[in-house]
Amino acid sequence: MAAFVQLVILGLLAGGVYVAVGVGFGLVWGVLNIVNLAHGALVIVGGYITWQLFTAFGLDPFLTLPVDAVALFVLGYALQRGVINRIIRAPLLFTFLLTFGVNLVIVNILLLIFGSDFRSVTPTYSGQGFELGGIVIPYVRLASLGAAILLSAGLAFLLSRTRIGLSIHAIAADRDAAQLVGIDLRHAYAVTYGLGAACAGVAGGLIAMIQAITPTAGEPYTLQAFVVVILGGLGRVSATVVGGLAFGLVEAFGQSIPGSGSVFANAIAFGLMVLVLVTRPQGLMGRLR
Amino acid sequence: MRRWAVIAVAAVATVACGGTSPGEQTTGSTIVLGAPLGLTGSLTKESTLTQQGYNLWLDWINARGGIVVNNVKHPVTIKYYDDTSNANQSAVLMQKLITEDKANFLLGPYGSAATATDAAIAEQNEIPMVEANGAAQSIFNQGYKYTFGVLSPANKYLQGVIDMAATLSPKPTTIAMLSADDNFSLEVAEGVNTYAASKGMNVVLYKKYKNGATNLSAEVQAAKAANADIVLNSGHLQEAIAINKAAKEQKVNAKIFAYSVGPSTPDFITALGKDANYVYGGSQWTPQVKYTPAFYLTVPEYVAAYKAKYPGLGDPDYHVAESTAACLALQRAIEKAGSLDPKKVRDALAALDVTVFFGQVKFDSRGINIYKPMVVEQIQNGAHHTVFPDSVADAKPQYPTPAWDQR
Amino acid sequence: MIATAGSQRRWRRIFLVVGAIVAAYALLAPLSSLDAAQSAGIPLLTDKFWFRIATYVVMFVVLATAWNIIGGITGYAAFGNVAFFGIGAYTTGMLIAKAKWPFLVALPLAPVLAALFAALVGLPLLRLRGHYFAVASLGVGVAVGELVQNIDYNGQPVFGGASGLFLPIYAVGHRGLFFFYLMCGAAAVAIAVTWWVLRSRFGYGLIAIRENEDAAAVIGVNTTAYKVAAFALAAALTGLAGGIFSQWNVFINQDNTFPIEYNVQMILMALLGGTGTVFGPAAGAVLLQLLIQFLGGSLPISFDLPFVSSEARPIVAQVILGLLLVVVVIFVPRGVIDFFGGRTRLSLSYLRRSLRDTSL
Repeated sequence: MAAFVQLVILGLLAGGVYVAVGVGFGLVWGVLNIVNLAHGALVIVGGYITWQLFTAFGLDPFLTLPVDAVALFVLGYALQRGVINRIIRAPLLFTFLLTFGVNLVIVNILLLIFGSDFRSVTPTYSGQGFELGGIVIPYVRLASLGAAILLSAGLAFLLSRTRIGLSIHAIAADRDAAQLVGIDLRHAYAVTYGLGAACAGVAGGLIAMIQAITPTAGEPYTLQAFVVVILGGLGRVSATVVGGLAFGLVEAFGQSIPGSGSVFANAIAFGLMVLVLVTRPQGLMGRLR
Repeated sequence: MRRWAVIAVAAVATVACGGTSPGEQTTGSTIVLGAPLGLTGSLTKESTLTQQGYNLWLDWINARGGIVVNNVKHPVTIKYYDDTSNANQSAVLMQKLITEDKANFLLGPYGSAATATDAAIAEQNEIPMVEANGAAQSIFNQGYKYTFGVLSPANKYLQGVIDMAATLSPKPTTIAMLSADDNFSLEVAEGVNTYAASKGMNVVLYKKYKNGATNLSAEVQAAKAANADIVLNSGHLQEAIAINKAAKEQKVNAKIFAYSVGPSTPDFITALGKDANYVYGGSQWTPQVKYTPAFYLTVPEYVAAYKAKYPGLGDPDYHVAESTAACLALQRAIEKAGSLDPKKVRDALAALDVTVFFGQVKFDSRGINIYKPMVVEQIQNGAHHTVFPDSVADAKPQYPTPAWDQR
Repeated sequence: MIATAGSQRRWRRIFLVVGAIVAAYALLAPLSSLDAAQSAGIPLLTDKFWFRIATYVVMFVVLATAWNIIGGITGYAAFGNVAFFGIGAYTTGMLIAKAKWPFLVALPLAPVLAALFAALVGLPLLRLRGHYFAVASLGVGVAVGELVQNIDYNGQPVFGGASGLFLPIYAVGHRGLFFFYLMCGAAAVAIAVTWWVLRSRFGYGLIAIRENEDAAAVIGVNTTAYKVAAFALAAALTGLAGGIFSQWNVFINQDNTFPIEYNVQMILMALLGGTGTVFGPAAGAVLLQLLIQFLGGSLPISFDLPFVSSEARPIVAQVILGLLLVVVVIFVPRGVIDFFGGRTRLSLSYLRRSLRDTSL
């Protein structure tokens, strides 16, 4: 019984990271209809920023998260405004390929700057945690889950209570109508992508604490972002939160199948995603688009 | 001290040249060696180490004028290509090296997948390939005659740890074996599964996970539940780091933690800091081993040469050393064959038996080096130490590993 | 400036002639390496080394042309077609390695199995549209690769597992030549099928589905049947390439038969050349694959980048590739086949116009 509870806890904690990875991806997909294949690369950029600040100045990694957010926001804004905006009106395939090219550029620039060595952020409290009746809850993972929830709440607040947030809702609902009522599309699109990138940056900071990063370590996260967003459903931040936590649980239980069960982790995740798409495309909680 | 080393090297070199003085030898054609490596892509790190190993030997051999064949010195050049860590691309480049660049002989790429595809090319073109970075036995079970691996095969990687454990007291008896699902890692794990019983140990848990996984908490939890004395991992650097972190988080207090890949690379210690202490690793070679080489540098000279050429990177790890060993094997085979004919050199390779700084280099009938033992190293107080076998060890194992709370 | 009718015809003629000469050279020059030709005094026009590269290029011609059928003509951008490549490769591979079938008997089963799988998976999948279909097909592509590598029976991997499958080296003289022509044959089949599709009622139905699926249904097109058929056709051709690959490469495992990059590459090639056309994907495949090989250094033409160390060169090459991709996607969304067909001229105003069409 204790083992089962421990597994659930581990799954939820891991889910925190997936939530952080997913909200940015889902925002960009849900609002801008862009499937951002460079998402993983943006995550890793955030990871490197955190690592750099941690090793150069000894800053606590959780304190570097706002820096990640701001830096990636700027990067994302520039990317969207300068590059991606140019093919918005083209068929969806083009954004796939464009973001793939962007991904290639970012990963290899990281490779040039940082080399391929594995870097990890290991604060002094890494590995320590509470113990409640045989169940272990590591500090870093708990704090990451907290940060991810905070991030999602912040994003949701921004989207529903601020002016720019309402503009984003408007362009999601009807792009041309939004333009008619005076919303600056180019700016609004860039802000949206910037927000998505900012979330990716925060996710990267969290990831750097949990695993070792290298420039190519972002690819799996792009794929996982797909699954998280589909599982939860497009259209609402809360849906992606549910999707991320659900994915964490699926992964934890998938990996504990005795014997070689866990090698099917990817297959299970993607199979689940396809199943959801085919039977309930709006996901667990999303709105049908 | 260094002067004596230089004189010693020169003496060894002269003896190896057959005792003739340099003045009597003429210079012949350049020997071209071909080497496709994953200089970009996922295998950049390890491929760079491989290249360093090849280049160390290249500088040395060319400083002496080249490989001597029948009193004629042949300078050597190595043509590198980047296969972007893609095995198919490696095969294309191998073919290019053979047909376009007219490579006389081939040096192996990094990784078992690329080595497998390249071995087929070498076989089809009947050009010997000596490799040092593809340890999967399946490559050598194909009956290929032209591929030779100087490194110990995969299944031996963690057997040294089991041997060592058998000598410790209180003797650990239960093993939790975690393995990535790629070819190489599975062979290492199989090596453990089949060997453990012969030393009186029992594999109580065997879990495979997806290669490249970064979240291994569930697997580590299973190891904790199995309460094993020894936790072994067969996988890559990323996974070793993830498992160690998870072990600390979940307070898994095994007596021995040993990982097949990871502990020997400097990144492991920088990533984990103090948590890297007490971890054991199976290694093809460490800078502390004591072998008496028949030619080329001794172990301390090799380490010094590496630090001189690549300052700031610490000691050479075994990827560098095994790559150099591949070059040495090829060199010795060419010298013994007395010819640059591929078939003669191939036969010389098959008959080779020589000890260099890396250990004994001799190939079994399949072409892999089963004669060199794997060593076990342990990280003690942030430094690498070789702890097994005794004949080459420079420290005793710190056993048992203290519980995480008590460090 | 759209070219005038006269100059349009002239350009088209020029491109056709040049294209025909290049194609003829590519197809016939390898024959000069045969012993019979050598002893007849024909000079060596090409090199054994080129066969490998050329076979790769032609393989991508097959993949891109096949993808075009479901992606370009029908408008369903499948993102997981590499699954069919792998299925074809493993079908042939297993039959040869385990059941000991001869290669030429095992090969036809590759497209058959791939098509069957596509039909099975396509029925539920093709009900999705746009992004959802793309993502679902990607998911299938990834999942199939994982399953093939990891399925065990009684503790033994069914499909060779992680150590892959080794096939016996095919006993035929002039192996490089043989597989090059075999792959060319597959490419010819793919192009012929595309040509036929575009001229048939079936093809009109597919185009109707692409332009407006609901309207197509209204006018009586059986959209489900047509879509699944197109998907299966694309899968069959992709599987054929996979089957040839397995024997040609002698060694197959998950990494070299289900590589995710191939998905993007085949789409890119079709896009670059011009989706929905007969020769577009082929042109794109040749261009892009040669570019990739060039940047990877495997062509005999070497290049030097100033200010870049030799260690950094391959990385910088990848950056250049990515930037090129971005530029091409932004400025040439309709593909280069337009220029070769003489329909438009490559000019600044064309570029500016296509940019305006797609920008925000």
